[in-house]
Amino acid sequence: MSNPFDHRRPTELEDKTHAEAVRHFAEHLKQFPASREAVERLERDTDKIVLTANRAVAKPTPKENVIQADDGKHWHKSVDLMENIHLCHRPISYAAEYAVVEHFPARGTNEILNRDWNAGEVLKSFTQGLRQTLRVWTEDLTAQMKEFLAEKFPGQDLSRVADAFIHKCTTQAVSQKHTLTHGHEQNHSRGVRI
Amino acid sequence: METIQKTEAQPNPTPPERLAYSVQEAADMLGVNYFSVYRLIQRGKLKPCRALRGKLLVPRTELLKLLATE
Repeated sequence: MSNPFDHRRPTELEDKTHAEAVRHFAEHLKQFPASREAVERLERDTDKIVLTANRAVAKPTPKENVIQADDGKHWHKSVDLMENIHLCHRPISYAAEYAVVEHFPARGTNEILNRDWNAGEVLKSFTQGLRQTLRVWTEDLTAQMKEFLAEKFPGQDLSRVADAFIHKCTTQAVSQKHTLTHGHEQNHSRGVRI
Repeated sequence: METIQKTEAQPNPTPPERLAYSVQEAADMLGVNYFSVYRLIQRGKLKPCRALRGKLLVPRTELLKLLATE
């Protein structure tokens, strides 16, 4: 989606309502770009992550990086993907199974999100799920935006404002202060920083 | 002499419990970021309903169910 204001300048009302929308949905504007960038980073670094995960299979795993997941099996953390989400492997004779495992600190449990015999496939499924999540978010934000505009400015055609706002939200670069997680800053002993 | 009758202060009626919440409200109540709530929705762990213009609403019962299984 392109920014509709690039083609024709906003009217005074559109300018005003856009500014109000930006204020009203400030938290979305902060959180969405950070989440989107985290997903893009995973997609960009897929090869590097897969290589690290494959190499990890051949190495011994420190005890503290072996976790029990909800399938009752022990998984070895290979790479930190996001805060409390890890790419893990489970050595089986001459092969290894891979899984994306999410840790829930409050419960102390580890839930398997995706699993496969191929690290690349498991990572691909995970990032596809994240992409789908961003789409759900965008659709919901568009609906919220339309509701906001219809309630505040009934009877006005402000569809360009809604489009411009969604464009801003989905393309704006994240500010340095607003990274999604601090997981990326943690230097996992066996993982890579992604 | 006229006496002023004391009227007993009426206790504030408790507001009716909300049936559903926006994603932002659900995120605030769960203490997580928005992305986490949308991920729960995408994975089917939270089943939302849709308001008139398609806005997602998370039923209170869904939040309670999630917390019970957590």
